[in-house]
Amino acid sequence: MSTFLQQLVNGISLGSTYAVFAMGCTLIFGVLNIVNMAQGAFFMGGAYFGLEAARLGLPAPLVLVVALIGGGLLGVVSELVIFRTLRARGGHRWMGLVASLALARMMVGLAQEVFGTQVQRYPASGVLEISWEIGGVRIQLLQVVILVVSLMLMALLAFVLQRSRTGRAIRTVAFSEDVARIVGVPVGRTILITFFLAGALAGASGMLLGNLFNVVSPFMGEQMLVKGLTVIILGGLGNVPGAVAGGFVLGLIEVFSVAYVSSSFRDAIGFGLIFFILLVKPNGLFSGFVERRA
Amino acid sequence: MSAWIGQFFASYSNIIDLCLLNSLIAYGLFLALSANMFSLATGGFMALGAYCSVYCTMELGWPFAPAVIAGSLLSALGAALIGAPVLRLRGDYFMLATFAFTEVVRVIALNWDSVTGGAIGIVSIPRYTETWHLALAVVVILYVTYTLRRSYFGRAIAAIKQDDVVAQSMGVNVFAHRLSLFIASGFICGAAGALAAHLNYFIGPSDFGLLRSVDALIYPILGGVNSLVGPVVGAIFTTILPEALRFSNQLREILMGALVVAIVLYLPGGAMSVLNLRRRRTGARGVELAAQPGSAKT
Amino acid sequence: MVALLLSAAGAMALSGAARSETPVKIGIVQATSGGSAALYGLMQKNGAELAIEQINASGKLGDFKLVGIHQDDAGDRGQSVNIFQRLINQEKVAVILGPTLTTSAFAADPIAQKAGVPVIASSNTAPGVTDMGDHIFRTSPPEAMVFPGVLAYVKKKYAPKTAAQIYGIDDVLMKSAYAVHKKALEAEGIKIVTTESFQKGDVDYSAQITKIKAANPDLLVIGGLAEETANIVRQARQLGIPPSTIVVGANAAISTKLAELAGAAADGFTVGAGWFINYDSPKNKAFVDAYRKKYNSDPDTFAAQAFTSVEIVADAVKRAGGVSDPKKFRDAIAATKDIDANNGKFSFDDHREPVIQPKVLIMKDGKFTLASD
Repeated sequence: MSTFLQQLVNGISLGSTYAVFAMGCTLIFGVLNIVNMAQGAFFMGGAYFGLEAARLGLPAPLVLVVALIGGGLLGVVSELVIFRTLRARGGHRWMGLVASLALARMMVGLAQEVFGTQVQRYPASGVLEISWEIGGVRIQLLQVVILVVSLMLMALLAFVLQRSRTGRAIRTVAFSEDVARIVGVPVGRTILITFFLAGALAGASGMLLGNLFNVVSPFMGEQMLVKGLTVIILGGLGNVPGAVAGGFVLGLIEVFSVAYVSSSFRDAIGFGLIFFILLVKPNGLFSGFVERRA
Repeated sequence: MSAWIGQFFASYSNIIDLCLLNSLIAYGLFLALSANMFSLATGGFMALGAYCSVYCTMELGWPFAPAVIAGSLLSALGAALIGAPVLRLRGDYFMLATFAFTEVVRVIALNWDSVTGGAIGIVSIPRYTETWHLALAVVVILYVTYTLRRSYFGRAIAAIKQDDVVAQSMGVNVFAHRLSLFIASGFICGAAGALAAHLNYFIGPSDFGLLRSVDALIYPILGGVNSLVGPVVGAIFTTILPEALRFSNQLREILMGALVVAIVLYLPGGAMSVLNLRRRRTGARGVELAAQPGSAKT
Repeated sequence: MVALLLSAAGAMALSGAARSETPVKIGIVQATSGGSAALYGLMQKNGAELAIEQINASGKLGDFKLVGIHQDDAGDRGQSVNIFQRLINQEKVAVILGPTLTTSAFAADPIAQKAGVPVIASSNTAPGVTDMGDHIFRTSPPEAMVFPGVLAYVKKKYAPKTAAQIYGIDDVLMKSAYAVHKKALEAEGIKIVTTESFQKGDVDYSAQITKIKAANPDLLVIGGLAEETANIVRQARQLGIPPSTIVVGANAAISTKLAELAGAAADGFTVGAGWFINYDSPKNKAFVDAYRKKYNSDPDTFAAQAFTSVEIVADAVKRAGGVSDPKKFRDAIAATKDIDANNGKFSFDDHREPVIQPKVLIMKDGKFTLASD
């Protein structure tokens, strides 16, 4: 029993990092309908921004803010340099994929030049090493903190999307750019803000994951992008609450397939399930409350 | 002079082989893209073709040609099996489903040790693939694509690419057309996988992941999805680029990325749209229309 | 083309020198970009270039001057083959050091074998590499040469009865290390209670570790690279695997990174190695100091092995009287015996594998120390 509960804790903790990253992905891929393969690189960038901030001795909340803003700025840069230019020149949507992939490559190369190829870790901090054992289940303070921070970010995003003016603008643009223009929504600025939000979420999850698993490397974004795509399928494209739920579901699927099937088939089970979901319920597991998209 | 050619070929034969191989893959994707199928299944197809053909030559002792055909057919079968349900999905869901397919194939290859050798892969594969095999394959596929585009089938595909709902209402069986193109794409990628396996002495699951699939998409897109020679141009460019930038070991990745970004931004229609630009400048409007082979007019 | 120009420039620089020197071209094929292979590639490139610099400065090769030509294959074996072909046919290198990855070696080494150019690998530890031909050498001891000794030591000291294994399933190195570990455990009569795997890029091992914890083994054998091993060790202790469970790692996990990433959790980590940073010999001290001075970081086992590779080349050049006779040069490399290397005396055996005394190391306060009996 305690093993089962421990695996549950493991799954939720892993899932929370997936959820934060996937929210950003779904904003770009689903809501804006743009294929941005550099999202993984923003994740990596956020982890390094956070790392540098932590090394300067900033307190943890500020480190998170630095990662958020850093990741967000990377998102803004990608929109300004690549996607906006492509839209203006009538480039095909597929060209965005090629260009963003090249951008991701440049960023990985740059990170290698600046920070070196080797894996680095966040400075050790006594507070975050604390853990409790409750009924044979180990829970780290860090896991709790990260879960809380993730939930706060999710709530914040939900608030922005549902209640604020910007959120309404984003949803209008997602519905149709033409409609948005007609009703007077500043389309360019709204897209830019969405890119900032998506980049910030990627950056924040990079910092959180870097802290939780003690790993910061130039190549950390590649695998995360795969996870992000997976979660989007689970949750449904463009469905933000779906991305959150999908993140936790993927974390739990991964952990429980290791725990009760076999660790070598973890990904086969995950992807097999996704294939199945696409065939049976192509709008995602949570299509009940799917947001409308163009 | 002939000594010089000999040395040139000895130094660069692998690059030439890779250019041809990647061109072949590029056409596989070109076919899929021409009906708006953004397929990430390439890695999976190539793995099917590669493992099947290697099994045929090394375990069953088959000659090379039937082995390649067996690999291609298995891959085409795979395309038919996943295509039939997945092609009902629209747009990005299709992309995500093909991506899941590639990953499932990779994970199976990692775990099915008795056939695939797991992560260690299969070593000491006999080197049967010759440069002329690859060149022949590219020429054949080029010819087939050329003929196809001029046929009724090609016009139907062009209509689907423009707008599949309208095409459907005009009486084009969108599903059947897309499925047959997807199977053809699977066949070509499978053949490429089989040829690649017998080129480099070794195959392993890491050769056929998401990276492979994404690279394969880049070739035709970068070259230009509306031009018949676009895929070759894209494939050759992408293959040669890392070699051409070899003078800069440190900044190679960054330079490579920057160059691709620059091309995409200045030629958003793909490298082959350079021709369109020039024609447009001469002001020949009729020529410009004809230069969009994606439209039903050609 | 550019490489040609560069080498032409190099040749001009040479002719400008006061002495007439005969260049000996050494191809260094190491990944310095493109994924985690770059980590090991960069170390080996550094180690090899440091050795070339030192040997040229020492003047012990007389008129011969070593010229290193590094090419980055980005861990992509298509590129490794491209580079091998060009280095052999255009640059006419005398010997190739590398490539970084075993998968690249399986694709590229046959080309060198056919052309009669020796290859010395310093990071390929999978079985079958030297079977590709009589021109393929390696200075990296294969896992099978190191691990049984470690296990024998652990068995003598702790008398473990059960073991759990965890390894990287999609990595050639680790998959073959896993097989070696399994065989050695079975030979020692230790029962394997659970086997887990992970994939490249994984950072969370908690699910596997929770399973291992439930099986409560006496030994935890990890087949992973340094960063992976560090993370597994750290998470294992965090999830409450007791210190009485001895953690044993693979040869490839030896890196100063391990202590840095795992912290105190790595204490007691046991591993076998051909080389380690605190190996007490004047030769090794000089190597480590020079490396630190030049690169401002600590060398790892791959850097040390690449350094040794160059010393083997230099020694062979001397004994063969140059590289003009490829056959003689190859034989000279094959005859390498008792070179004073940074890990003691180095020789090649009949199968062109390194003959070294594997050492059992234990992590103590963030440092690898020789195990005392």
